[in-house]
Amino acid sequence: MISDRVKQSIRAELRRSLMAKIGIVLVVAIILVATFAPFLATQNPKEQNLSESNIPPVGFTESTEEIQFIDGERQTVTETVGGSLDHPLGTNQLGQDMFSRVVYGARTSLAVGVLGTLIAMLTGVTVGLIAGFYGGRVDDGLMRFADIMLAFPALVLAIALIGLLGPQTIDIPDPFVALGLVDGMPSSFTLPLTVTLVVALVNWVWFARVARGEALTVRERNYVKASRSLGASNPRLMIRHVLPNSLTPIIVLATIQVAVIILLESSLSFLGFSGTNLSWGFDISQGRDLLATSWWIATVPGLAIVLAVIGINLVGDWLRDALDPDIEGEGGGM
Amino acid sequence: MKPILRISDLSTRFFTKSGQVNAVESLSMSIDDGEVFGIVGESGSGKSVTARSLIRLIESPGKITAGKIEYRNAEVADEIEDSNPEAVDGDYVDLAALPEDVVRSLRGPSFSMIFQDPESSFNPTLTVGEQIAEAVEVQRRASSNPRSVKSRTSSSAYSLRSYAYGTIMPNRSYVSSESKDRAVELLQQVGIPDPEERVDEYPHEYSGGMLQRAMIAQALAGEPDILVADEPTTALDVTIQAQVLNLLRDIQEETGMTILLITHNLGVIARMCDRVGVMYAGEIVERGTLSNIFDEAVHPYTKGLLGSIPDIGSAGGRLQPIEGNVPSLMDEEMGNRCYFADRCPKAMKTCLEKPADLSVDGAKEHEVQCVLAKEEYDESDALDPGQFEGEDS
Repeated sequence: MISDRVKQSIRAELRRSLMAKIGIVLVVAIILVATFAPFLATQNPKEQNLSESNIPPVGFTESTEEIQFIDGERQTVTETVGGSLDHPLGTNQLGQDMFSRVVYGARTSLAVGVLGTLIAMLTGVTVGLIAGFYGGRVDDGLMRFADIMLAFPALVLAIALIGLLGPQTIDIPDPFVALGLVDGMPSSFTLPLTVTLVVALVNWVWFARVARGEALTVRERNYVKASRSLGASNPRLMIRHVLPNSLTPIIVLATIQVAVIILLESSLSFLGFSGTNLSWGFDISQGRDLLATSWWIATVPGLAIVLAVIGINLVGDWLRDALDPDIEGEGGGM
Repeated sequence: MKPILRISDLSTRFFTKSGQVNAVESLSMSIDDGEVFGIVGESGSGKSVTARSLIRLIESPGKITAGKIEYRNAEVADEIEDSNPEAVDGDYVDLAALPEDVVRSLRGPSFSMIFQDPESSFNPTLTVGEQIAEAVEVQRRASSNPRSVKSRTSSSAYSLRSYAYGTIMPNRSYVSSESKDRAVELLQQVGIPDPEERVDEYPHEYSGGMLQRAMIAQALAGEPDILVADEPTTALDVTIQAQVLNLLRDIQEETGMTILLITHNLGVIARMCDRVGVMYAGEIVERGTLSNIFDEAVHPYTKGLLGSIPDIGSAGGRLQPIEGNVPSLMDEEMGNRCYFADRCPKAMKTCLEKPADLSVDGAKEHEVQCVLAKEEYDESDALDPGQFEGEDS
């Protein structure tokens, strides 16, 4: 399936394109950060310390003016707080370390993004292959259903589904903590199960459409007919011949969908539907009310989302250009 | 001897958005065991649709609307007698009346097909060997328990694991090492040099002629009774054409299988075939032995085809093309007449009615669908050439 030619063209495209290099650096960085979060975080991201609340990032100072009555006189007292290396990216209202929260938030985003994409891909490709391969009424039925799914705004559909399923989560023990390699970090990672399923349910349609389109052209290829004339069954034709020859645009779409799903997950967390409070979207919602005074609480996780999405999209573009120059950007979206 | 394949009144129609197309119309023929039967005709005359109809490979919107395709195989007839009594007649099974899964079990071991364009007939993501081995597996399943149709169609030999291997690690996707060995053997049989190495190469590493050989190997894997070769040499250059034809001939002599050869090339027919059917507008207009067709042709269309071959002896003379084109096969435009009448230099008024199959000079083998078989061309009775112009749209 992955021939030397394909590998060569992927490498050549990487050499040629600066954007691809930036993308892969960002994506590898995020993956490393998410994996080794317990080692990178400076303190437990959930630990509250109210005496250290709203500290700005290193290099920034923040002055707050308070009106106090001292000896019966009204006076304006200016209190200045400066960032320190203890909290390189500052702290939030509860005194939690923003750097540690962003590091752990990468886990949530990446886990939901990748798992959600895999589930969406599995469902969508199965449906799309069957629809495109069999055609006729099967195709009509499945794709009209997919069209109905598309007609709903993704976020509204997601919220409705979460309302229906309830915010389920799974606690996955953190192997590094369990092995005793790090102390003082959360002992488990909370995967928002409902959100993962819901983002997949909202996004499988894009895979179905792309897979169907590919199946429609590939099933007309002579080798499919030749194979049929030798006695191959329909499932065999689909899996052995149609699927492998439809994979290129599906791989490209999957990459871009990870970014789309990270954005959707952040939106859901922002709105308070996620079921975990260690998430970039959740932090943004916490900082929203304090934008005027403590801008970093929302800005830091916001920048993390921007970097992640840009990185993944650049990798997607790189794969698209390398694998098939004919494909136009078909990222799907929200 | 009883023929291996009897086709009677076969009609294949395509129900397209712009109307019904009668690609094959009431076609009857029979093919003897071990012969090479050729079907020759222009593009669009329905040759390929006939070939595909035989193994029920017509896809929507096409459909076999009438007729029988009877295939002689006592074993199969025995097996399915209980489940499909209406499809069995003595030793014969009617493929047109069988359910799809039974027909599928016959593809490979009973019929197989080679196609016109070898380059596009191989999956670029699998090695040539794997694709031949795939056909070998089909045959292995069929022969493991020939008494049971069920075993022919069951896919137990193909576990999820081998599917997964096929997708992720193509070089591991052989179901068994025997099938790979057999693939090497088959490649050797069709004259691929270094088959042990070539078996692991991808289709793009093969030349066109080698791919055609590999496709023949693939078709032979099932040890079919009938090989349908649909324009096997059209996409190849002349020297390779000769090699491929020789190969087919050798294999036919070796295994004694029946070949149905579809081509528009009369040279190929002359070289390969025992009997020939000339096809025009979905019908076989003339059939007979090789000498019947080449030396004693009656139908003006057959004569026209023969007249349009360059002759090395009479260099310089212009070739004689047949004027006009194959008629549209749209149902409403066809009517009930001789479809060749509008291009026929000897069309008469009687040609406005559909001619019956007539035997020529009482020879049982030589049949023609033309009134000229029993009467001479009479100029006074000639059809006005403008007769059909109004119909051409």
